[in-house]
Amino acid sequence: MRFTYQLISTCLLTLVYIGNANAILPIEKLDGYKGAKAYLVQTKALPMVDIEVSIDAGDRYDPPNKSGLADMTAGLMNYGARGEKGILSEAQIADEIADLGANIGLSVGGERAILRIRSLSRKDLRDRAVQLAAAMLSSPTYDPKIVEREKQRTITSLQEAETKPEFVLERRFKKSVYGNYPLANAPTTKSIAAVTPADLTQFHKQFYRGDRMIVSIVGDVDRSQANEIVQSLLKQIPSNSQPIPKLPELERSPIEPLAQREIFIPFDSQQAHIAMGMTAVARSNPDYFPLLVGNYILGGGGFVSRLMSEVREKRGLAYSVFSYFAPGKENGIFQAGLQTKSDQASLALDVMSSTIAQFIADGPLPSELEAAKANLINGYPLRIDNNRKLLDNVSSIAWNDLPLDTMDVWTKKVEAVTLEQVRAAFQKYLAMDRMKIVVLGAKNK
Amino acid sequence: MLSNLLRIFFLFLLFAQFNWAISAESSDTHQYQLSNGLKLIVREDHRAPTVAHMVWYRAGSMDEVNGKTGVAHVLEHMMFKGTDKVKAGEFSRLVAAVGGRENAFTSRDYTAYFQQVEKSKLEDVIKLEADRMSNLNFDNAEFLKEIQVIMEERRLRTEDNPSSLLNESLMATAYMSSPYRHPVIGWMNDLQNMKASDARDWYRSWYAPNNATVVITGDVDAKKVLGLVEKYYGAATAHELPVRKPQIEPPQKGMKRVQVKAPADSAQLAMAWKAPRLEPGKLDDPEPYALELLTAVLDGYDNARLNRTLVKQEKVVNDVGVGYDMISRGPELFLISATMAKGKTVDQAQASIRKALDDLKQKGILESELKRIKVRILSEQIYKRDSIFGQAMEIGSTEMAGFSWKDIDYMLEKMQTITPDQVQAVAKKYLVDEGLTIAVLDPQARQANGMEGKK
Repeated sequence: MRFTYQLISTCLLTLVYIGNANAILPIEKLDGYKGAKAYLVQTKALPMVDIEVSIDAGDRYDPPNKSGLADMTAGLMNYGARGEKGILSEAQIADEIADLGANIGLSVGGERAILRIRSLSRKDLRDRAVQLAAAMLSSPTYDPKIVEREKQRTITSLQEAETKPEFVLERRFKKSVYGNYPLANAPTTKSIAAVTPADLTQFHKQFYRGDRMIVSIVGDVDRSQANEIVQSLLKQIPSNSQPIPKLPELERSPIEPLAQREIFIPFDSQQAHIAMGMTAVARSNPDYFPLLVGNYILGGGGFVSRLMSEVREKRGLAYSVFSYFAPGKENGIFQAGLQTKSDQASLALDVMSSTIAQFIADGPLPSELEAAKANLINGYPLRIDNNRKLLDNVSSIAWNDLPLDTMDVWTKKVEAVTLEQVRAAFQKYLAMDRMKIVVLGAKNK
Repeated sequence: MLSNLLRIFFLFLLFAQFNWAISAESSDTHQYQLSNGLKLIVREDHRAPTVAHMVWYRAGSMDEVNGKTGVAHVLEHMMFKGTDKVKAGEFSRLVAAVGGRENAFTSRDYTAYFQQVEKSKLEDVIKLEADRMSNLNFDNAEFLKEIQVIMEERRLRTEDNPSSLLNESLMATAYMSSPYRHPVIGWMNDLQNMKASDARDWYRSWYAPNNATVVITGDVDAKKVLGLVEKYYGAATAHELPVRKPQIEPPQKGMKRVQVKAPADSAQLAMAWKAPRLEPGKLDDPEPYALELLTAVLDGYDNARLNRTLVKQEKVVNDVGVGYDMISRGPELFLISATMAKGKTVDQAQASIRKALDDLKQKGILESELKRIKVRILSEQIYKRDSIFGQAMEIGSTEMAGFSWKDIDYMLEKMQTITPDQVQAVAKKYLVDEGLTIAVLDPQARQANGMEGKK
């Protein structure tokens, strides 16, 4: 493969074409239930439905000494639950999901935990899949034996991860860039060992409430069927929760001398891994579009980005080099990175730094701006051309509290971005003397 | 839990849906051949106004010779370095200008290039792709920079990745003669000694319309697509392809072992048995289907046999996976790989795997286990249609292995006829020590040389 695209969590959204080429399908707001919000896009072409429940219960709510708790709370929901007809063992849950031809998956990010269901849309199959997911979501059992087993597995995986350069780099970079914000803490063998079944039950009780949930549905169901799905999913969920202590603010990365921002980690690997970045913006920030367009030019546009051109195409220094904004609901970060042969780390870091510095200082060329807009606008349909991508988009709009017409105006907002806006936004939010830098595995340092 | 009766009913209904899916697919898919030998397959899917365009060359690392391993993949990189009309770097810029996504990939069996675009931009990317089928023209300086990038790619994917190192040694040990013994990215030493002329020779040998299949899926009209493809790809001239020597792997005559030392925390184990593949023209051979189903019985869902016994009950491994792909150009392996649980040894894991396999060989599998797997295969067929890119991938990779896209439906139907006895029989016949290669990753502490610090 010529280049592995880095995960870019920019949550882009817009016009919904699915189901009828060229027609724009609306996001429908469904009835609220148990304090949860719910949204639907009807796509009838395939007999299937995708459902996502976003829960405001991500890693940032981990207690400082129990990092990994949020992740385990969600991850263990499919290992035993109390259904309407009694306890479902982990084996029964797995077998029934398989028998239904459904997929049910769980994932946890910094902000939210996500439960995803993919089912054939035929009512009997769909109903059973939803009932099963509802039991997992509302009444996980957290059997102590299974908790112990999964803790051991997590610890072993962590120990393995600690031998991998990319993991060690990322963990150190997060610690650097998040400062006092809870996402600076990553799970350790010690923090996982400290988690008890009672912690899991308590975390679930505290955070898995209707008013912290959003249901997004895409597929072959109508409005009333979608409302039934929402009610069935959330039937046993309590509606509101005790107030949850507010998280600290994510503070802007401070201006610091280089010696305090830059960290070198010795590591016995053939390649050096480099990360650079700082805190940035939330998805709802009005400067989001200038930053999106600008970053396409800087390091988001694959083979045509400046970083790719300077680091890879002109100098052959790295296979992969990238930059991105990861905008969250309340805040976010900017990150750039590359990997290179360990004896050329300082050259690669210099090229990366000067490329980013020059872009912040001077902004893009007019021709670059036009090319970026052309790509983003012409390529817009590719962001929403199947149910899976649509679900990502609907869920992101809902999670980030964006207007439901976000889709209709997306390409217009890209079109309206000016050179001056890009330069101003980059200068407003990024600054080289605030960038945290982590270099792992460099030789001759 | 569902009753058996209900399960059978589900299966029946799923079958009904499935048949509908088959007929819809077949009538939407069209195949053509240009006079220069290029094959074109178009699948119309009008769900969204986008299209996937791919060209597949039947030339992968299995066509390489010793000393030049990795050249198929090197050429993949060089294909972006310019033609007479489109200078280096311009290809990507032009695809980006029309909002396209693009990339390429090389495997043991083939090399493929793709773009995804909004439907009105299809002609632009066909024009670009057809141009570089015949007119690639890169200079030595471009080659010298790009080979550095490829060595970085190898460092990233393999040298610093213990699982990849283990897999590389496994393949090189399991095969004595088959070119499958070489990694697709090539041995580092071969990359260091690669010349621009090696890549050019490769291009001249294999990149020809009569060695290519173009697959286009999405919101298109097949007849109009044919017109565009004839207009641009029709200009390429066919030429004789190099003779492919059979390079048949000799039968294995006993167990082989290899050990790999690499920085890691847990030991890893890979057990690979030589297994038959599906042969074109012999679609009724039940064994490859039975092996596919055996894979799923062992590892097809969360409560499948190996995960249930090894991870959840015995807690001897942290993770376990099973792999087998019944279609490919070269010889197949049935592969079980595992990472050890804390405090457990490779010998303990191997004993547990062998026990699970012996149990299956002696007692067979349940009808209900097989039904569960078959239901999953059917539902996945419907889910697969959500992605036009995925559909193009399936068509292209099937064609490259020497089958027709039309065979896919037949293979799926055939899969549904396989019995528990047939699954048990292939386990007994093929999961035997004579054809087994065992690779073990022996974890080494990294040479830690100090603490992190400031500059």
